[in-house]
Amino acid sequence: MIELNHVSKSYNKGRIKAVDDLCLTVKSGEIFGFLGPNGAGKTTTIKMIVGLLRPDSGTITVDGLDTEQDALKCKAVTTYVPDYPALYDRLTGLEYLNFIGDVYGVPRAERLDRIGRWLEVFELNQAVTNPIQSYSHGMKQKIVLTAALLPAPRVMVLDEPLVGLDPRAAHSLKELMREHCDQGKTLFFSTHIMEVAEKLCDRIGIINKGRLVACGTMDELKRLDRTQESLESIFLELTDK
Amino acid sequence: MRKFLTLVRAGLRSNFGLSVLRYRVFVEKKDRWLLPLLGAAGLAVLPSIFGLILLVQNIYLALKPFGQERALLTLGVLGGELFILLFGLYYVISAFYFSRDLEFLIPLPLKPFEVIASKFAVIMINEYLTVMAIVLPVLVGYGVLARGGVPYWINAVLVYLFLPVIPLAAVSILVVALMRVVNISRKKDALILAGSLLLIGLSLGLQFAAGRAGNKELNGRLVTNFLASPDSLLNRIGARFPPSIWATKAIAGGFSPAGLLNLGLFVGASLALFAVILLVSEKLFYRGLVGLTEVSGRRRSLSRAQMSQRLSSGRHAVRAIFVREWRIMNRTPIFLLNGILVVLLVPVLFMVMARAGGGRGDAGAVLKIMTSAPPLLTILGSAAFMIVCGSLNGTASSAFSREGGQFWISKVIPATPREQVAAKFLHSYAVALLGTVTASAVAAWVLHIGPASLAAAAGLSLMAGIPLTAIGMMIDLARPLLDWANPQKAIKQNLNVLLAMCADIGVLTAFFFGILFLVKAGFSGTTILVALFAVLTAFAASSCLALVNFAEKRYHEIEV
Repeated sequence: MIELNHVSKSYNKGRIKAVDDLCLTVKSGEIFGFLGPNGAGKTTTIKMIVGLLRPDSGTITVDGLDTEQDALKCKAVTTYVPDYPALYDRLTGLEYLNFIGDVYGVPRAERLDRIGRWLEVFELNQAVTNPIQSYSHGMKQKIVLTAALLPAPRVMVLDEPLVGLDPRAAHSLKELMREHCDQGKTLFFSTHIMEVAEKLCDRIGIINKGRLVACGTMDELKRLDRTQESLESIFLELTDK
Repeated sequence: MRKFLTLVRAGLRSNFGLSVLRYRVFVEKKDRWLLPLLGAAGLAVLPSIFGLILLVQNIYLALKPFGQERALLTLGVLGGELFILLFGLYYVISAFYFSRDLEFLIPLPLKPFEVIASKFAVIMINEYLTVMAIVLPVLVGYGVLARGGVPYWINAVLVYLFLPVIPLAAVSILVVALMRVVNISRKKDALILAGSLLLIGLSLGLQFAAGRAGNKELNGRLVTNFLASPDSLLNRIGARFPPSIWATKAIAGGFSPAGLLNLGLFVGASLALFAVILLVSEKLFYRGLVGLTEVSGRRRSLSRAQMSQRLSSGRHAVRAIFVREWRIMNRTPIFLLNGILVVLLVPVLFMVMARAGGGRGDAGAVLKIMTSAPPLLTILGSAAFMIVCGSLNGTASSAFSREGGQFWISKVIPATPREQVAAKFLHSYAVALLGTVTASAVAAWVLHIGPASLAAAAGLSLMAGIPLTAIGMMIDLARPLLDWANPQKAIKQNLNVLLAMCADIGVLTAFFFGILFLVKAGFSGTTILVALFAVLTAFAASSCLALVNFAEKRYHEIEV
């Protein structure tokens, strides 16, 4: 479960308000889609959840643990996939996965099973012993997703995870996301692909200019829009301000 | 020409981080302290330059009665050229082949020579600033003392402007040709490293040969002959690099026919070499470059058994991070060259210098003092040598900056700041240990220092290495450079590395005066050594504690 209570974050000494008094709850077993135009505050919110940025005010809890007070415990149950996978180019894919397995304390037998499975799903078997430097953008995205799945975290936070993935990998990822949440775990992800959000998410939040302008199930969001058409039309109406 | 100027402007902004600096200082209003700090740093350099001008004055007055004063200009020019040659190698390799802006530049409608010329110009401007401290005091000091008129100053400015061209062009031609060959192979990094080592080896070999030849020929009769004929010293110093003689005669000769002729020779040779680099780059640059960043790997699947073999069996976080640091450092040529190779090369360089003069060079003189000095001085001198070789490198002071854009991983993994700095400390200390061991070997072999003195010196050096490593790491942690696009920036052009070296030198100077005080107070050698070891131990413990506390604070504060 992820809870954000009155979270705010600003840049340039308070002149640019990236996130403004955000309150949000993502329940266990839920896929939560986070939508918003460019610069709306999606990545800032995500970075605050995983501890890359500190909120100016408000609190964030992950599985009941405060991300500031119990930072290490939160990190142990959370994995994160950034929008741009900056990885250790000089390590091989397998060395990177080993590193992640070591720091998250994944036992050897489970490590072997999980790595074997995700590499097959993402078709990275043949490239895993090569340096990450030799990977395409999509392959980097796949290895960072594999690394995020390796500790079998209770909470996954993904920033535009589908960007750069081929259709097969994107399909596999969507299935994995569903499987993850069916086990009672939490998944928070941002996307610009309305269709994916509409079909995959249990609940959706729309952020605009740092403020949450809508949040709910697809049916609840549709009630906000008189035409009751697609998520796209709802999004356009809510963010056209 | 417009394209070239645009490229140079963009290159300068990127190289000196001007746009980022402007944004951070004036828009984000974050690093406002940077401007006064830069100003203070500039002012702090002034006394050193003034001191150098005084030194120049003394040498000038000593050489003047023998008619050899122009040799001073040759020394200044040659010193500057050698400096550019050695450091230019890294700048050229890095700017031509490892800079990430190449990914944007290659697809643009630009000719290879335009890209190379602009990068060359940016390196030139860098070099003007770098050699300023060496060459300007000589030019200014000489000009004032010799009462050089307007022609002197005009020619001096022209020579200064063209000074970096010959060494940089020579290095560039070598590098472009080398990369063309290297890029044929898959093992590019290894070959780049081998190529760099070859160039360093060549320059060391030249120094060795020059040292031997110089010392063989130097005897009393020749010295008398030198002093008897004007400019003989100038010609001797510059014999192995004639452009330095042309530059000297151009500056000193002013607008006289000889002055203008030599100016023409110097500028002409520079332009000719610059033309060669443009020509070579047009033919070879893109061929050496295209695909350089792409590393092909063999595609093969691992069986479950093979995979199982390659999986670690659950390393502790500290060990896992240490292994990561070690691998990244060793596999990134720029990091390797500036970290491990420096600690291996400095003792070797000392050895070459000591051997080159057959014991008569500067290093040879140090050798004589060290071997004939009292045991305390031998131990302290050897320890200082080991500390310089082991700890005065950029490994610790770039420990966080080297992570660059990947620092997000360190922020999200469940490893405490204490564990992360412990791993980084052990890595930096391992490099210092390597340098200490190499320096010990050199001290034992070249300086013939006995095992007991050697063990005492190594003990002091290893203990001193702890606080020096911790200080370097704290300086980098205070302001890590994480947004670089070129790994060179993280270690070689990182202000933190320079600041840490200054801090280390400050600490060592404080210890020097402390020891001097104890010696003057009449304490025995053994007492001084025991006291020094005790103080270093306490300093090591407190600096480690400070590092851990600082890391807890900074890991929380740093946002990415």
